[in-house]
Amino acid sequence: MILKLNHLKVKAAAATQSVIEAVYALVEEGLIDQGQFARLQVELDWIQYKSNFREAVTATQGYNAMGLPAPIMDLHIDTRQVVLETLHDDLLCALHCAEPGVEPDAGRLPLEEFQSLRSSIVWIFNKFFWRHLLAWEAATGKGYDRALPGGSSDGHNPLAIADDVAEFLDLLCSLRAKSQLPAEVNLLEIGVGSGSRCAQWLDLFQQLDQQRGTGLYRRVCFYMGDFSQDTLNKAKPNVAKHIEQCRFIQLDAINPIKSLTHLRHRILQVHLTNVYDNLPDEEVVRRDGKLYFVQVRAYVPQKAVSSIGGKYGIPPELFRDRVYHMLETGFDDFGGPAHGVPFWQELWAAVRLEERLVQLEDLPEFPFPEGLDAGKLEDILQDAPTDFRFHLSSGALESFIRTLPLLHPSGYLQVFDIFVTDMAQYRTGFFGPGKLDGSLLNWVNGALLKEVAQREGYNVNFRPFKYRANTHTSILYTTRRE
Amino acid sequence: MPMNLPILPTAIVGSYAMPGWLERLKTDYFARRISRHDLDEIYDAAVKAAIKDQEIAGLDVITDGELRRDNMVDYFAERLPGVQIDRSSKKFYYDFYDSAVMSKLPMASMGLVQDFTFLHTYTDHVAKFCVTGPHCLTKRIRNQFYPSEEAFAMDIARVMNLELKALVKAGATMIQIDEPYYSGFPEDLAWGVNVLNVLVEGVDAKIAVHICYGNRYGKPSWEGSYRYLFPRILKAKVQQLTLEFARRGGEDLDLFKEFNAPFELGLGVIDVKNTDIETPDMVAEHIRKALEVMPAERIHILTDCGCFHLARDVTFAKMKAMVEGTKIVRRELGK
Repeated sequence: MILKLNHLKVKAAAATQSVIEAVYALVEEGLIDQGQFARLQVELDWIQYKSNFREAVTATQGYNAMGLPAPIMDLHIDTRQVVLETLHDDLLCALHCAEPGVEPDAGRLPLEEFQSLRSSIVWIFNKFFWRHLLAWEAATGKGYDRALPGGSSDGHNPLAIADDVAEFLDLLCSLRAKSQLPAEVNLLEIGVGSGSRCAQWLDLFQQLDQQRGTGLYRRVCFYMGDFSQDTLNKAKPNVAKHIEQCRFIQLDAINPIKSLTHLRHRILQVHLTNVYDNLPDEEVVRRDGKLYFVQVRAYVPQKAVSSIGGKYGIPPELFRDRVYHMLETGFDDFGGPAHGVPFWQELWAAVRLEERLVQLEDLPEFPFPEGLDAGKLEDILQDAPTDFRFHLSSGALESFIRTLPLLHPSGYLQVFDIFVTDMAQYRTGFFGPGKLDGSLLNWVNGALLKEVAQREGYNVNFRPFKYRANTHTSILYTTRRE
Repeated sequence: MPMNLPILPTAIVGSYAMPGWLERLKTDYFARRISRHDLDEIYDAAVKAAIKDQEIAGLDVITDGELRRDNMVDYFAERLPGVQIDRSSKKFYYDFYDSAVMSKLPMASMGLVQDFTFLHTYTDHVAKFCVTGPHCLTKRIRNQFYPSEEAFAMDIARVMNLELKALVKAGATMIQIDEPYYSGFPEDLAWGVNVLNVLVEGVDAKIAVHICYGNRYGKPSWEGSYRYLFPRILKAKVQQLTLEFARRGGEDLDLFKEFNAPFELGLGVIDVKNTDIETPDMVAEHIRKALEVMPAERIHILTDCGCFHLARDVTFAKMKAMVEGTKIVRRELGK
């Protein structure tokens, strides 16, 4: 058995002894045989998200591409939530659930079949959250920003914006000195929120432009892009003062070039804050020289089905249909948001993901996100740890790849988000998925973006977000590669 | 230099689509997983395929697709006598070598004739051979000997002049000089044209100069107007200017009229920085616009730049559109 302690916490360390004892007891009792014991990998994680998709103890079985059991088995123990007194039974239960051929036991109501995390129903929940954000906020009595670490978006930080404006104006002046300043100075923000960042940015730019006498404010075209027309409409009044400079574009963050093809090679700055961490993702495990794809199946524990169903008058046999119906149509079944939102919130809190690992035997044919292929992944993994689990950051990668063609030869992409900047970092903790209010949250595989970017002609650089203490946020920015 | 070409002859600027498998094999070579001999055989097969693709698409002038080249600099830096290369300096084939000149360049052969001969052997169409120009090379090869970039470029031109003459001797009738860095360093044109003239002095072939706004990683490196070329470029002793118009629009076409430029125009009608396939009608429209400033007899129909970064199927479809669009205009002209 291999025991991996992925995070240094006193409580995590304290749990180690109990885990070993509990596993040993199962071996003694004949509930784990020698073969199982030999291939067991126990991972002790500290899951920082209070709300997430894992039971305190879960087991993951490996399979080959034919669907037959492969000789790998992982046990994941969340040392933050584990109850040491019930560890023996929890381990037994988790191992039983992961056994090949065992149908979902009576303790779980699956919401789907095993599949890629990217196509899981949890992303439909995520979309549903953004569509019904106002209803969620009304029910909780606080805005989404309040759920963020620090209580507000880092994108709105006035010092960060001031530094950015000054650097950007310097860039414009240097281009003008070389007679290369375009007639229109295009900027794009993807995911505009309330429009507050754009408003602050333009305020400061206008002031600095006046101070320096550069006369460039009138050339600025600030494209505000968001998938939600409602969000754009709500942002408009906040940028009213600069309305001549603003353009409002409905776009998909995963494919910005699709809506902005007329701006190919014409945007001098693209900015995103906390967008990549909320885009669909997938995970891969590297073990014993082989790659395994993490398949997931969302479920609701039967206990929650009973309690939530009882409260809202939903029989267990109709529970799943009611969940899907709500995600498709909203809260009509509940007579409106007043009853529907509490159901949704309790349901979302109860949703879990079980996992299995499926060997990637035919890597060249795997449907990689755009920008990645088998050859590139193998190159990237050459210097990576031999035994670890990492994000493909599929949505973020596709967004990134489909944003770069928008950049002017002197333009750059700037992303405020939570990044894993080195593949080895994945061995030091848990990086998602977690839940943030009604949405999903994943750290972004910045190391992978960095490698992919090189083949696209860009260097990806990271710098700490120095404007807030104790933050995990860092700033990704691109520079042209020669 | 009689050439049996139709009116509005079609061609790609130089490079053909670099297949993903060839990229991997080139990188395998750098990782010492395949031998030089195997790589050369692979190149031969890839170049033959690129030639055939161009012929089937209906192009009138054929290149070798530049598939033997890692990028537009290293192929020449490696062959320029006296240039020192740090072979450990690149991991991915497309990266530039760290190369430097530490002493005066000796006059010696660069061995380009072999690659031209291969092209000439495998096509009976008019063959165009493309070389990166001295100005561009001075921007990527570190100069640790010459007192100025101009002096360095001038010596490169002298060495390459011999090579161009050797190409003509081997049968080359059309040679294209690639100078994309003019657009990034327009101030260099003051001496760049003199260098160009030394390069082509006594070379008995049709000489085209290709000037774009960069195509590194399939992206433009600069933006601006071709106005910077004029009037200095008028002193260049070349027959054709090959410029990108598809991506940038045709505004700068008027410069040819304004300055009564004596050159043929290599008209870029295919945007190589965009995977969307042009329609024949779009191509025809570009050509009609050029016909407003220049007679058809002085226009060649080309891609904006090399197709190196496009997928093969996209490149092929774009070439077909270019050929079909050109046929539309030829019919309109009754040719």
